[in-house]
Amino acid sequence: MKKIIHFFSAVKLAIVLIILLVAASIMGTLIPQGRDMAEYAARYGRLGEPLVRLQFTNIFRSVWFLGLMAVFELNIIACTLTRLGAKVQRARKPKIESDPKDLASFKIKDRLRMSAGLDAAKERAVEALKEAHYRVRTAEEKAGNENKSGGRFNVFGRKRIDGIFGSDIVHLGLLVIIAGGILTGIGGFRAELILNPGETKDVPRAGFSVRLERFDTEMYPGGGVKDWKSTVTIVENGRDARKQVIEVNHPLVHKGFSLYQMAYGMNWDAATLTLRIARKAAAEGAAEKSGEASAGPKKEMKPETETRRPAAAQPAPDEPRIIKAKVGEVMPLGDADGTEILVRSFIPDFVLGENNVPESRSLEANNPAAYVEGRRGGKKVVEGWVFAAYPEVTRLKGDAAAEYAIEFRDLDAPQYSVLQAAKDPGVPLIWLGCLLIMAGLILAFYRPTWEIRMVLEAAGGAGRELGASGKTEITAGGVAAKSRDGLEAEFARIIAGLRSSK
Amino acid sequence: MTEATFFTAAFVLYVVSALCYLAFQFGRKAGAATAGLAAAGAGLIVHAVALVLRTIQSGHAPFTNMYESMSFLAWAVVLALVIIEAKFKVPRAGSYVMLIAIAVMALASSPLMPKEAAPLVPALQSYWLWLHVSVTLLGEAFFAIAFVTSIMYLRAKDPEKRDKMDSVSYRCVSIGFPLFTLGGLVFGMVWAEKAWGTYWSWDPKEVWSLITWFVFALYLHTRIVMGWKGKRSAIIAILGFLAALFTFFGVNYLLAGLHSYV
Repeated sequence: MKKIIHFFSAVKLAIVLIILLVAASIMGTLIPQGRDMAEYAARYGRLGEPLVRLQFTNIFRSVWFLGLMAVFELNIIACTLTRLGAKVQRARKPKIESDPKDLASFKIKDRLRMSAGLDAAKERAVEALKEAHYRVRTAEEKAGNENKSGGRFNVFGRKRIDGIFGSDIVHLGLLVIIAGGILTGIGGFRAELILNPGETKDVPRAGFSVRLERFDTEMYPGGGVKDWKSTVTIVENGRDARKQVIEVNHPLVHKGFSLYQMAYGMNWDAATLTLRIARKAAAEGAAEKSGEASAGPKKEMKPETETRRPAAAQPAPDEPRIIKAKVGEVMPLGDADGTEILVRSFIPDFVLGENNVPESRSLEANNPAAYVEGRRGGKKVVEGWVFAAYPEVTRLKGDAAAEYAIEFRDLDAPQYSVLQAAKDPGVPLIWLGCLLIMAGLILAFYRPTWEIRMVLEAAGGAGRELGASGKTEITAGGVAAKSRDGLEAEFARIIAGLRSSK
Repeated sequence: MTEATFFTAAFVLYVVSALCYLAFQFGRKAGAATAGLAAAGAGLIVHAVALVLRTIQSGHAPFTNMYESMSFLAWAVVLALVIIEAKFKVPRAGSYVMLIAIAVMALASSPLMPKEAAPLVPALQSYWLWLHVSVTLLGEAFFAIAFVTSIMYLRAKDPEKRDKMDSVSYRCVSIGFPLFTLGGLVFGMVWAEKAWGTYWSWDPKEVWSLITWFVFALYLHTRIVMGWKGKRSAIIAILGFLAALFTFFGVNYLLAGLHSYV
C-alpha cells in the first residue's frame, strides 16, 4: 500500500502523465477523429486499420486516454493529500524556534547587534514585523539550560499563510472538473429536435414537449446571417407552459433541460417552385427542333414528333405564364390547350450519381433542379429536368417538347429549426471547479507566503545574565517559496529599521 | 481620421520604440531605453484609439477576424511589455518584444488577412466574445514576453543577467498563466456551454489550449516542486509560447473545427 501511495504521489509521475496527455492530445488533433473506416483506409493505407483498432481515431473517448486521465486523477489526489498534512501542520502549529546555524544557510539572512537589552530588542523586533503586517509568534528558551548559551528569544513572523494552499485548491478544482466530466459522461443527455413551424415534439426524457411557433432567419442589410430565432412554446401536460425565443447564445432552460438553437435547414418536401412557362409558335418550335436535330441526333427526335405537331400548331404563341407549384401538385397552365403542369420531383443540389441517376449532393440549394411534366388531356406531351442555375442546360423531351420553354425561376421552402435538448448534471461541478482553480491560482501566485525568523541572544556569549550586557545579537532569516525578491526587499527594510533603532 | 491612420501611427511609434531599444542594446545609454519605453507607451495609446475606432465602426469587439485579433494581440504584447518594464526593469528585452509586436502588426496589415469589418455571425454575438478573447490574448502576450526573456536567458553569458531573465520569465508566466486559464479555458467553457450547449467538445482549438495549459503547468511544477530553473525552465517556457502561438494561428489554418471564425 505504501509503495502504491509512493508511486502515485511522485511529482515525476505527474510530469510523465502531463507529457503523455500532451502527446495524445496532439495526435488527437492531427488525426481526424471519428470518421469512418473507409476514410482512414484511404488516408493512411495499411495503417488505417490498426489506428482505428487502437482507438487513435477516437482518442478522447478511448479506453487508454480515459485510463491515462484516471491515473492522472489518482496522481493529483495522492500528491495533494500527502503534502496537505504537513502544510496544515505548518499553518496551525509552526515551529517557532530556529537554530541560528540553520538561519545562516538561508538565502535571505542577516545578523545585527542592537544596543538594547534582550526584552527591549525582542519588543522592537516584534513591533517591526507587526508593522509590516506579519503575524508574530514568540518563544522563549530560558537560560539555565546549562549547555546552551544564555537566554534566547525566538521570533517568528509570517504573512499570507493562505498562499501555501493555493496549489491544493487548484488541484481540488481539477478533480471537481474531472468529476463533472464523468458526471456529464454518465448522466448527460442530448438529443436533436427537428421542428417544422407549427410542429410539436416531445423532448426525450424531459416530461414536456416543445412546439415551434415560428422560425426566423434575420439577415444583415448587406447580406450575411444576423440571427436565427426559434419562437417556441413549452407544452406541459397538454397545456402551454411558457413561450420564449431561442437564439444562438441564448438557450432556453426549463426543468434542468436546456434547449439550444443548433442548426436550421430547408424543408424541401414543402418547397414551392416558381416556373415560367412560355408556349412557342409551332413553326418556331419546329425550326428550333430541326436545328437541334442537326446539331446532334437524339433519341427523342423521332419522326412522329414532327408529324404530330400540326395538332398544336393553331394557337398563336401564348403569353408566358408564371406558375407556382409544389412537388406533386398539378397546376393548370391556362392556355388554350388546357395544358397541366406537374412538378414530378425536386432536387436541391442536383448531380448525376451512379448509373447517371440524379441525386442530391447536399441539402443546400446549390443546384436546384425540378423534373417537370406537361400534360394535355391526360397525356404526357413534354417532360424534362429544368435547372434554376443553368437554364441553358434544360432539355425537354416528349411529343410537344418543341412548343414549350420552361424556366425554373425561383424557389422557396419553409425553414425548419434544429434544436438541441441537453441535460447535463456535470455542469454545476464544472463551474465550481473553475472557481476553485481561479481562486487557487490567485492564492498561489498573488498571496506568496513569507516567513521571517529571528533568534535574539544576549550578546557576550555564555555565562552572562539575561540582557545584562545591554546588547542583543539578532540572527534573522527569511523564507519565501515565491516572490523571493519581494521578501528580500522587505526583509532588508525591516533589518535596516532595527539597526537604526536605538 | 480613420482607424487605419491610427493603426499606421502606432506602427510607426512601435518601430521608433524598437529602434530606441536597439540603440540602448548597442550603446548602453539608459536614455535610449527610456525613450523606447516612452515611444512604446505612446504607440500603445494611439493603437488603443485605433481599436476603439474599429469597435465603433464595426459595432462589435475588435477581434472577430485575423486582422483584428492580430492587431489586438500586438497591442496586448506592448501592454505586457510596458507592465513588465515598469515592474521588473528589463530594457534589454524591449527591442525583441517590440520586434514581435511589429511583426504581428505587419502580418495583420498584409494583403493575406481579411480586413473588412464583417457583421458578426450569430455564434459570436455575445459579451463573452469580449471576455474570452481579450483575456486569452492578454495572457498569451505575457507568454510572449516569457518567450523573449527565456531565449535571452539561453543566449546570455553573464550570470547576473541570466538570473534576471530567468526570474522575469517566471514572473511573466505567473501573470500569463492565470489570465490564460481564466480567459482561454474558463470563459471559453462558459461561452461554449451557452452557445453550443456543451462546455467541452474536444475541438482542435480547445485541445490546443489545453496543451498550452499543460505545458505551462509542466513549467510550474518542474520549477516550484522539482526546483528546475534556468535552461530547462527556459526551454519549457519557449515550447509553451509556441503551443500558444499554434493555438492562435496554426489551428485556424491547419485544423478545421468549431473555432474557424477567423
